[in-house]
Amino acid sequence: MLLALALALLVAQSISAVLLYQASENRREEALLNAAAFRMLSTPRPERDRAENRGRRRNGGERAERNGRGRGQGRQFIQGLPVAIRLEQTLESPLLAGEIRNSEREERLQGILQDQGIAVDEVVIVSRPLSLDPLTRNRDRLRQRVAQSLGPRTQLMVAAAKIPGREGWTVARVAEPPRQRGTMRTIVVQTLLIFLFLFALQFLLLRRITKPLHILTGRTERFAKTQDPSEPLPPEGPDDIRRLITAHNAMEARIGALLDEKDVMLGAIGHDLKTPLAALRVRIESVDNDHERGRMAASIEDITRSLDDILSLARVGRVSEPPERAELSALTASVVEEFEDMGQPVTLSVAPGPTNRIVHPVHVTWLRRALRNLISNAVRYGGAAEVSLHKLGSAIVLRVEDNGPGIPADRIEAMLEPFTRGEASRNRDTGGAGLGLTLARAITEQHGGRLELSNRKEGGLRADIILPKPL
Amino acid sequence: MIEDTPTRLLLVDDETVLREPLAEYLTRQGFVVQEAESAAVARSKLAEFTPDLVLLDIMMPGEGGLSLCRHLIESRDLPVILLTAKTEPTDRIIGLEIGADDYVIKPFEPRELVARIRSVLRRAQRAPAPAEEIALYTFEGWTLDPLKRKLIDREGAMIAISTAEFRLLRAFLDHPRQVLDRDRLLDMVQGREAHMFDRAVDNQVSRLRRKIEVDTRNPEIIQTVRGGGYRLAADVRRSAADAAK
Repeated sequence: MLLALALALLVAQSISAVLLYQASENRREEALLNAAAFRMLSTPRPERDRAENRGRRRNGGERAERNGRGRGQGRQFIQGLPVAIRLEQTLESPLLAGEIRNSEREERLQGILQDQGIAVDEVVIVSRPLSLDPLTRNRDRLRQRVAQSLGPRTQLMVAAAKIPGREGWTVARVAEPPRQRGTMRTIVVQTLLIFLFLFALQFLLLRRITKPLHILTGRTERFAKTQDPSEPLPPEGPDDIRRLITAHNAMEARIGALLDEKDVMLGAIGHDLKTPLAALRVRIESVDNDHERGRMAASIEDITRSLDDILSLARVGRVSEPPERAELSALTASVVEEFEDMGQPVTLSVAPGPTNRIVHPVHVTWLRRALRNLISNAVRYGGAAEVSLHKLGSAIVLRVEDNGPGIPADRIEAMLEPFTRGEASRNRDTGGAGLGLTLARAITEQHGGRLELSNRKEGGLRADIILPKPL
Repeated sequence: MIEDTPTRLLLVDDETVLREPLAEYLTRQGFVVQEAESAAVARSKLAEFTPDLVLLDIMMPGEGGLSLCRHLIESRDLPVILLTAKTEPTDRIIGLEIGADDYVIKPFEPRELVARIRSVLRRAQRAPAPAEEIALYTFEGWTLDPLKRKLIDREGAMIAISTAEFRLLRAFLDHPRQVLDRDRLLDMVQGREAHMFDRAVDNQVSRLRRKIEVDTRNPEIIQTVRGGGYRLAADVRRSAADAAK
C-alpha cells in the first residue's frame, strides 16, 4: 500500500513538474516573440551612433536599441530575459542559406502583430548563432557582452516581417536567453524535495496506523489459538485504533474470564459428581447378586465415561502443554492393543515398525482418545474395526473402518454434533452420551486437522482423522 | 504376613460420602482402617498411630493432599496411594514425582484399589527399589523416563507404550544382558494391571518389539533365549534424578 501511494505521488509530481517546465518554456517563447514584436513596431529612429560606428555598414542601418533600459556601458542584461539587439530594415531576404524557418514562432508572431492591428504579409523567423549573424558578426563588444551574460553559445532569434508602409523586411534580432538549465534543475529538485517530504510524511502516518493494526492482528490470531488474555496490548496509534485496541483487550479479558469460569465450573462439576459416583461404586460391592452388581457397575462406568467426555470436550481447546513429537504407528498400535486386551475384534492392518514410522507433533493422550472413540464406535455399530495409518500426500490419515450399516449420507454432519447418536433402538444398551464423535472431531481440530466420515463402497463406515503436515 | 497382622490403613478424604463406605469396605476386606477428614486431623492421628499405608485424597480444603503427601514420604517414609478425581495427567505426575507409590482415579473399582494396596505393600516390603531414583535410562540411543513413563526413540520422537510394556521394558533395563525367564518377568511386571497376571509375557514382548525393533523378525534389542526366556542385548546407562534435570 505504501508503495502504491508512493508511486501515485511520484506520478502526480512528475506530471506537475512537466507542466511547470512547459509553462516556463512557454513563457520564454512568449517573452522572445513579444520582444521581437516590440522591436519591430518601434519606429526606426535616425542613427545616433556612439561608439560602434562599424555598425552602420548596412544600408540605412539603424542603431541597435537597447531594450529600453538606457544604455550604460558594461550593463548586465537581466538574466533570463530576452535581449533585443537592433532593428534592421533591409530589402534582402533575411534568410541565410541552409537555415530552417521556425513556422510555429512565425505563426505566433503574426498573431501578436495582428493583435496590435498590423497585418503583415510574411514573417520569417530563424535561430542562428550569434557569430553567424551578418549584423552582429563584426560587433565584438556587443557579442562579448551578450556572451558574457547569456553564455557563449547564445542563439540569436532573427525575426523578419514585411510591415506595410515600410520598405522591404523589418528585421528584429533578439538574443535568446539560454534555455535555463537552472529552471529545469529547480523544478527537478523541488519535485524531489516535495516527493521526499510527502513520502516521509505518508510513511510515518501509515506506519502509525498500520503498526498497531499489524500487532493487533498478530495478537488476535494468537488469542484465537491460545485464548490466553494475559498481558493486554498497550493502546497505540491514532485515536480510532487506540479505541479498537482497548475494545479488543476488553473482549479478550471477557472471553478469558468466561472460559476460566467454565473451567472452574466444569472442574467443580467433575469433582462433585465423581465423589458420589466413587461412593456408589464402593457401596455396590455389598450387593450380593453378582449379576445385579455387574449391571450397577456398568451403569456407573457409563456415567463416568460420559462425564469424562463432557469434561474433555470442554477442555479440548484449552490444552496448555505443547504437542510432543510422537511416533504415530506405535501410538495407533498401542490403542488397538488396548482393544485386543479387552477381547474386542479390532485389527491393525498396517504393522507398526520403524519401516513406516510417521513422527508428528501431537497431544498424545488426546489423540489416543480420539482414536479410541472412533474404534469403539466402529465396534459398537459395525461389530468390528479395522485400523490403518496412511500418508496421503503431505497429510497423515488415521483410518478406522467397519462393516456395519454406515450412516445415511444426510445424517453424517448431524452425527458430529454433540448428544447425537445413531438409531435410538440400536444404542439403548450401548450407552454413552453421544459425545464420542464430537470429541474426536474437536481433538482432530485441536491438532489442526479434520475428521471425515464417509460410507464405504463395500459397506460400512470409514472415519478418517486427517492431520496436516506441520509447517 | 497379611494374614498374621492386619494391615493398618489411614484413609484421608474430606468427602464423608465416600470416606465412610470406603472405610467399611476396606474393613470388610480385612484391613484396619483409621479415617481422617482433613490433613490436620491426619497429622494428629499419625502422632499416635503408624499405618502401613496411607490412602490420600489430593483435593481437600485447607492443606492439600499433595502437601501432606510430601510430609508423609519425606519425614515418615510411608507408602502413599493418591485418590484423585482429576484426570489431567499433570496432577498424577506431580504426585508420582513427590514420591507417591500409586494413584487411583475416582470413581475406582474397590477391588482394584485393594489389589493396588497389596501391590504397593509388597513392593514396600522388598528392599526399597533403587530403580525409583533413576530419572532416565538410555540404551541404544533410546531413552526411557520412568517417572513420566515416556519412551523416546533415537530421533527424539515419543513412542506410545502401555503400562505393561513399560514395566516389561523397565525390568529388562534393570537387568541388562541377563536372561530373564517368563516367570521372573511375570513376577517383575505384574503390577496394578489386573489382566497382566494372565497376559502372556510373550505377547507383551512381541508388542514391545514392534515398537522398538527395526526388524521384528530379527530382534536386536530384546533377544529370545532358546529354552530360557528373553534378554536385553544392549548396554544401559542410568542417570540419577539430580543429574537428569
